[in-house]
Amino acid sequence: MIRVENLHKRFGTVTAVDGVSFTAADGKVTGLLGPNGAGKTTALRMLYALMKPDEGTIFVDDIDAVAEPQKAQAHLGVLPDVSGLYPRLTPREHIAYYGQLHGLSGDDLERRMNHLIEMLDMTAIADRRTQGFSHGERTKVALARAVVHDPKNILLDEPTNGLDVMSTRAVRDIIRAFRSEGRCVLFSSHVMQEVSALCDQIIVIARGRIVASGSPDELRAKTGRQNLEDAFVALVGLEQGAPA
Amino acid sequence: MSPMGQLWVVLRKEVVDAFRDRRAIMTIVLSAAISPLLLGFMMNRLADRQRQLDDITIPVVGAEYAPAFADWLRQQAGVAIVDGPSDAEAAVRDRNEDVIVIIPDDFQQKFRSSTPAPIKIVSDGSRQTARPKVLRVRGLLQRYNGEIGTLRLVSRGISPAIASPLQLEEVEVSSAQQRGAMILSFIPMFILLSAFAGGMQIAMDSTAGERERGSLEPLLTNPAPRHVIAGGKWLAATFTSLLSVLLTTTIILAMLRFIPMQEFGMRFRIQPEQIALLLAAALPMSLLASAIQMYLATFAKSFKEAQSYMGLLIILPMLPGFAATLYPMSGQPWMYPVPVIAQQVLVGDVIAARETPWWAFVVAAGSAIVLSLLLLQLTTSLLRRERIVFTR
Repeated sequence: MIRVENLHKRFGTVTAVDGVSFTAADGKVTGLLGPNGAGKTTALRMLYALMKPDEGTIFVDDIDAVAEPQKAQAHLGVLPDVSGLYPRLTPREHIAYYGQLHGLSGDDLERRMNHLIEMLDMTAIADRRTQGFSHGERTKVALARAVVHDPKNILLDEPTNGLDVMSTRAVRDIIRAFRSEGRCVLFSSHVMQEVSALCDQIIVIARGRIVASGSPDELRAKTGRQNLEDAFVALVGLEQGAPA
Repeated sequence: MSPMGQLWVVLRKEVVDAFRDRRAIMTIVLSAAISPLLLGFMMNRLADRQRQLDDITIPVVGAEYAPAFADWLRQQAGVAIVDGPSDAEAAVRDRNEDVIVIIPDDFQQKFRSSTPAPIKIVSDGSRQTARPKVLRVRGLLQRYNGEIGTLRLVSRGISPAIASPLQLEEVEVSSAQQRGAMILSFIPMFILLSAFAGGMQIAMDSTAGERERGSLEPLLTNPAPRHVIAGGKWLAATFTSLLSVLLTTTIILAMLRFIPMQEFGMRFRIQPEQIALLLAAALPMSLLASAIQMYLATFAKSFKEAQSYMGLLIILPMLPGFAATLYPMSGQPWMYPVPVIAQQVLVGDVIAARETPWWAFVVAAGSAIVLSLLLLQLTTSLLRRERIVFTR
């Protein structure tokens, strides 16, 4: 479970995240929805403890992520916005590297690795160097190494960005699998269909602020629009049109 | 997982990754091998030149006009004479010969009558390579001149000292020995350079390279302290740097065994304990070189940018080397705590078999290690900066 309260982050005069509070529950998929530049990535970076918030608190399974970033990271699986690979290592070695950094070794690591390779359908490429991998293949490797330590909470920053239809479907299936395993999944996206298809809870964020949150149905009811995309435009547009 | 375990995981990953980069490994091996080979080449050329000078064959035109002089020449050590070509000047101009001695047919007659007998040395003053030989020939003729003059004075009952108002003594500063010593003084520089060349690849790839690929941010989401990640990368770079230093040192020592050092009037025999001292002097350089390179490369957003920093940095290990060719660098106590200079001086001392106090090695290694850890600390704090972690 992830609890965020009154999160703030400024870069010079720009306020990227401006008082964000929410809770992402276990066994649920929470979507962070917003246009480009809304502050989704900045918010996530604070959640996975690579950025220090100017203000506010973050709890990951009741661990204070601001005070004890490393301890919080041990409970998080993170797929950042940019997830570069090592071109001379194989997927198996990528997964092992992160697994070992989390303290896995021997049979435990081997079992977990095989499970992920199978789950992500990577058996054919598992022992090839990642140089020349397609975008979809690279995303799978990055995802596998991110969750090698079996984390209770999973943060994904635009995981389907730039993926083709087949890879997008595969990622969605994995997100659903994570949910059915009782994990807390929080992912960001600017794609409406994706969020509506996957999420139990949607947090709409614009210009660093939460403009609405709730289940897809609640959002539709709140805006009076049947189409979720219309609802999104209404919510974001309202905020952007409002005087600062 | 313990920080030590994580350190080892990072270290091993970086080394495995680096060794798969064939081109980078070839670069390290070549750069480690090229400088000693160059050194060996220079030393051998010098030895050859020296040998040529010792054994000299002088073409003489008209030797039959001065049989006594020709005999005297033949008796000099390392001198042989052959008949010179008919057109001596053309032969020298066309570079068929370096120098030719011409004895005119009236030599004997003038010699007998104790008037100065003419003798010609044909040479080309614009040819640097022929100069030692020309000088040698001129020296031989002057010596003969002096000997005959002395004999003539003695036979007339006059002390030869009267005809020698000056006693000339030449001090040759660019002797082969000194040139040999100068070339040997490049050895410390080559070893220091190999420390920088060896760690460069990992130092850049694990910092600027990670940033460029976008793999730094995901790496830092692992629960490992920054100083552990930085430390693992540093030790990995140090490891390849050590290998490079070992390789260069081995090749240099092997080279020196094949170079005829006696040609330079030098005895060079390296003993096992000297090898140990050599490594004790050189290896701390690997720690420091890697630490400096890593710190600089962490500022770079791309591999290319890092390479331009490394290009500038390579001047650092060369500076004391150049200074050493101008000033004798040894024995000054202030040098030992100054990294890079200390390593240069100590390696030079070991090569030249000069006595060095044991504490000098400890002080030099200690200051290099302290400075390395300081730089590592700076790199760690860079890895905490959001601008470094997120800016690509």
